[in-house]
Amino acid sequence: MVVLNFTLSEDGVAVLHDALSCMFKFSDDVCLEARKDKLTLSTLNVSKSAYVCFTFAANRFFSRFNFEGNAQYRERFACQLYIKSLLTIFRARGGASDASRENASIERCDVAIDDGVGRKSRLVARISFRNGITASHSLPYEVKAPTHAKFNQQEAENSWAISSKTLRQLMDHFGPGIELLDINTDDENRVVNFTCFTEKVQKRGTTNNEAVLKKPLHTNIAVEMDEFDDVSVEDKMHIIISVKDFRAILQHAQITSGELATSYSNPGRPMKLSYGADGVLCEFILMTVGEKDAISQRHKTPKPNAAAKAATPRPQLDSTSHRASSAQQTQAPPAAKPPQSKMPSGARPPPEFDMRPPPPPPPAAPRSPGLFVSQDDDDDDQQWEPVNPEEQEEEEEEEIVRLEWHTNSEPDPSAPRISSYVRQPTKPDHTTSPDRLLSGLEPTQRLSDVRRFGLFSD
Amino acid sequence: MRFKTDLKNIRTFSKLTAALSSLEKIAWVRLDDDSVRFTVIPDTGSQVWASLSVDLIFENYNIQSNEPNNTINLELPLNPLQRALKSAMGSNHANLRLTKRDGIPMLSMTIHTLTKDPAAENNSRHPNPPPRFPRDHDDEYDDPFAQSDLQAELQMRREREKVITQDMPVRVLHPDTVETIMQPKVREPDVHIQLPPLLQLKAISDRFTKLAMTTSASSSSANRAEKTNPKLELSANMHGNLRLRLFTDALDITSVWDNLENPELDPSQLTVPVEQHPSVAFREGGPDKWATVRVDGKDWSRVLSVGRLEGRVIACFVDDHALILYVYVPHHDDPGGVEDVVTYYVSSYSA
Repeated sequence: MVVLNFTLSEDGVAVLHDALSCMFKFSDDVCLEARKDKLTLSTLNVSKSAYVCFTFAANRFFSRFNFEGNAQYRERFACQLYIKSLLTIFRARGGASDASRENASIERCDVAIDDGVGRKSRLVARISFRNGITASHSLPYEVKAPTHAKFNQQEAENSWAISSKTLRQLMDHFGPGIELLDINTDDENRVVNFTCFTEKVQKRGTTNNEAVLKKPLHTNIAVEMDEFDDVSVEDKMHIIISVKDFRAILQHAQITSGELATSYSNPGRPMKLSYGADGVLCEFILMTVGEKDAISQRHKTPKPNAAAKAATPRPQLDSTSHRASSAQQTQAPPAAKPPQSKMPSGARPPPEFDMRPPPPPPPAAPRSPGLFVSQDDDDDDQQWEPVNPEEQEEEEEEEIVRLEWHTNSEPDPSAPRISSYVRQPTKPDHTTSPDRLLSGLEPTQRLSDVRRFGLFSD
Repeated sequence: MRFKTDLKNIRTFSKLTAALSSLEKIAWVRLDDDSVRFTVIPDTGSQVWASLSVDLIFENYNIQSNEPNNTINLELPLNPLQRALKSAMGSNHANLRLTKRDGIPMLSMTIHTLTKDPAAENNSRHPNPPPRFPRDHDDEYDDPFAQSDLQAELQMRREREKVITQDMPVRVLHPDTVETIMQPKVREPDVHIQLPPLLQLKAISDRFTKLAMTTSASSSSANRAEKTNPKLELSANMHGNLRLRLFTDALDITSVWDNLENPELDPSQLTVPVEQHPSVAFREGGPDKWATVRVDGKDWSRVLSVGRLEGRVIACFVDDHALILYVYVPHHDDPGGVEDVVTYYVSSYSA
């Protein structure tokens, strides 16, 4: 029995893909939650220090959205999926030339979730291309209630908002090797400071003097308050978050080019960042570094005493309840108890947000398209880079292709770059060529064209 | 000890830093009244001595030191410097000063910049809109710039200058510690020749190096060190030829350039009379009289990364002994002025 089905336009597929690739920087799996009026994708990272939630409005984002529900899932349906498989399905297709892009462009994408007693639980995505090809994908999933982080909007008295594009460009000035971002205000000079630093440095006066030189660049960016849309922050308040998370958010935020709004209370309490685009609301809740953790925390606000701490509940993760902040905009399911009832501490050990230990370093996978690693985005500076022996092993395959001194298919011989060869789909060529020979049929389409229809897995 | 200066020619400075950092992570920087010198000496590989006049990259230069000759010696990591210079590129104003943060010496770069707005950037590329013509149709002429100008102006009003501070760690060196570091002394070269465009030379050299490593994968592991660090043979004569050769068990490939220039020697710069200079014998020896050195392919590739400076490069060969490159850094703002020289002592191997 179909629980949910919806249809996306080509643009909708792209937006969904952007959202998923943003989430993929935080976690490997995503919770999909469907209701009558909206679809929610949410995830929590492994160290439970960052929570991501994208809400797609049923009537604005989708060409068609139909939540049927069934006896088992009357109000909402939730399941967990691997982001990686979703990314493959909703990935952007399109060729180098306009003609092939036109051919391979998506006409519509129908997604249905089939569930119920005695049925295989499957998410089926059917993508119809303008050239008449239809690709169907069927994904298994796990029925699982999502974990939502709570955020107390009343408590968060500090806030600011700024163009996400501006903020994203500022981040370019931060060098590699930094972990933490300290955001603080200076009322006297009417500026907001963004300071990047790391705690992974040797203490002063160590015997090894060389170590001093290994410290990463310490960067501070002062932005005039006038450039913000509204700043309401306690003077000299330092709030510290993970740079990696912040970068991941900004990379997505700049696509939507909206205004990024934040709100937060005190160090050690969560911070919410949000921005919206056409029918999509993007919310992030990040745990900030507590005062005791931040060595270089130099803020002058008095420490909140223990009593105050006990009174204000720590943020909790709850598998059934909803974020307090979003409670007003969603109707709570009958199954879930009101969030307030869970608030008093002591009932059970709350698995709280925790910044320490820090999340494991991100795998150096190509999935994060080097937002800040590139040292030289200069015109053609790449060609001055020395031969890199480390790359040699991985590039073996490309190397051999390279040695042919670009015989064919190189559109612009004046720009011989390794990347242009990497993009050539060499593997499917090898695997499919014998078949073609056996069948004795003349190829009617370039393999690189067919490849975009998702007939081959990557 | 004080050091403070405004930066100029940030692009050139950044390219020099990039070239140096491909050889070594940390540079020794020596500042005095007239010159700034960058030296990198890797454990293995080629060393570089770059001596620049202060006004190539600095202006409003201010230095005060108790050390002899008003000198400051610093040890500076190049990657942070390169990163900071990248921030400074396209800025309105940037300066550099020696300071202390939490008692640790820092080289602090303060940059006043705007975030790049695509619309504003297009506009700034054409500070003077092209003249509008024909003049007589001015009234009904639909100015395509009017709209964007207005937009840019609105952007600018909103867009505030940001102040970016990039603090790089440095170590101040005592004069005694640098006293012993001497610039290598090499005898008069046998052959001096202007190199072909470095991008070309680098592309071919890199291809040779990669070929040597690729072919080594299939052959025996007998001399593995030789295989993973392939050597290229580089020769030149006094008749405008440069020869690059790769010679392995499986391969023997050669690329030859001709019609290159063997610059005239300046007698005033020589320690020996011109006619006794070794290059005279090589010139008389004819086109088959080659001066040859062997270089490490990977190291050579790092050396050639200096090509990004777009300077003229003279290579001096001491047969079977040494190779020195003199890279003349062009002064873009003063084309006729004195050229600064970056000297590469390329590590070479005997056959």
